[in-house]
Amino acid sequence: MSAIEQLTVELGKLPGIGRKTATRLTFHLLKQPRGAVESLARAIQAIVDRIAPCSTCGNFSEADPCSICSDSRRDRSMLCVVEEASDIEAIERSDEYRGLYHVLGGHLSPLDGIGPEDLRIDDLRRRVENGSGLREVIVATNPSMEGEVTATYLRGVLAPLGLRVTRIARGLPVGGDLEYADRSTIAQALVARREMTE
Amino acid sequence: MQLTDLTVRNFRNITSLDIELPEAGVVIIGANGQGKTNLLEAIYYLVLFRSFRGAKDRELVQFGAPGFFVGGSANTRVTAGYEVAGGRKKVTVDREPVRRLGAAVGRIVAVPFSPEDRGIVAGGPAGRRRYIDVLLSLSEPRYLVALSAMRVALKQRNAALRMGHGDTAQAFDTPFAEAAAIVLSTRMTWVERRTGRFRAICEALGEPEPAQLRYRRHGTKAEEEATDLRMLLASTIDRDLRRGTTTVGPHRDDLQLSLGDHSLQTYGSAGQQRTAAIALRLIEAETLAEATGQLPIGLYDDVFVELDDARQANLLTLIRDTLPGQAIVAAPRDSEVPPELFERPRWTMRGGKLET
Repeated sequence: MSAIEQLTVELGKLPGIGRKTATRLTFHLLKQPRGAVESLARAIQAIVDRIAPCSTCGNFSEADPCSICSDSRRDRSMLCVVEEASDIEAIERSDEYRGLYHVLGGHLSPLDGIGPEDLRIDDLRRRVENGSGLREVIVATNPSMEGEVTATYLRGVLAPLGLRVTRIARGLPVGGDLEYADRSTIAQALVARREMTE
Repeated sequence: MQLTDLTVRNFRNITSLDIELPEAGVVIIGANGQGKTNLLEAIYYLVLFRSFRGAKDRELVQFGAPGFFVGGSANTRVTAGYEVAGGRKKVTVDREPVRRLGAAVGRIVAVPFSPEDRGIVAGGPAGRRRYIDVLLSLSEPRYLVALSAMRVALKQRNAALRMGHGDTAQAFDTPFAEAAAIVLSTRMTWVERRTGRFRAICEALGEPEPAQLRYRRHGTKAEEEATDLRMLLASTIDRDLRRGTTTVGPHRDDLQLSLGDHSLQTYGSAGQQRTAAIALRLIEAETLAEATGQLPIGLYDDVFVELDDARQANLLTLIRDTLPGQAIVAAPRDSEVPPELFERPRWTMRGGKLET
């Protein structure tokens, strides 16, 4: 296999990239200055060499524990459970949450052979049992069927431990138009309606 | 609703066909194996994007062809193409590609009458569930969504049961029960509303004994009567774990068809079963007409065969009353087609080609 073919095959394995895009990216790189391509190659090498999951929360990090787990300014009474490390980025962008995280590494999907033991649920239980001052766990798995099922399962695991377990709300997107929302989103928003207070 | 034109490419034995269809419909005469049923199957593909004979898409492709294409217009233009390489299906409605097939299903409304329909009555529960699922998917907007959700949850739950993970399986009880409740109540409401018509149509077809259509929930007496599906699932978890599958729910239920006090599936004669099958198709037509406000297109494949003159006349009267729209009638010989239908143009099908 030629070097061009090899890179095309490797790029084609990335999510959202088909054969055509992989080919286009390969030829794009061939036309770039040597320095730019080397910099990309080094960046890829660096994530392999330097990044590892945080042994506490599972977030990808250069240090262990990660910068969030070791940050003394974070609220240690709150723990937010997410499916993937990339979800942490999304929640951090909201600037609304100052607590800690726990990455499950996916959701329950027996069809794909993923049961509770394949997710970091035992780690979560241990963290909650040993975590002094922890008062609330926010379950922020995706609002998909499997995400909901994983949340239900987690409630069963966490409820006996005697702390507050909450689920992120579902409903209409901020700044969105009601008429463009899909049926199930509107149904959810109606079910989860709230009293208007001053 | 009228199908005004039809294009077929490489569908079973039909290599290439472009026709315009008369408003009243057409009678297609052809010996066995010439492609009459294939043509009706191609038309119905535009309703459900699946074969009404239960064939896989791959099997519909003409031997040696890279894929098939079917297109037709009836108020809206619907096309469906399938590529063997990659197994891709592409559907368009009014020239816009459709992302979710569920959203395009039922744009063209038709009812297929086929000699194989007797299997709905004579065969196992799966065939009757398929009948009611297709019918309600086409007539009740939220049914298909609920049915799909129920199937996904069921597959996940069963996979967990097979692995012996009771806790994981039970975590799927809520999504399964929520979807199953919609499926169950929609089916039961429909059966309750239509059983009277089922009896009336069987009678009008010449069946002296009273016919009945009932919904039969699977399980013991207590399980049949359970109103809370989540509690029912919780109570059967040990059995489910032992058998490695979900033992209660709408995916196990049945439609019970009877004549007098005997089951048509077990004790019905061939003639009685055929009559009941025709009645099921006619109430399907009525349901779709009410739900869509459009008269479905009638696709009649050899329906008049093996019916005595009296029943044939009764059926024609029923069709005139309940399904007076466009009729596409396929028969092997002129003599098999009641003279009344000859008011329509007559075409001949030979070796996958239509002679108009």
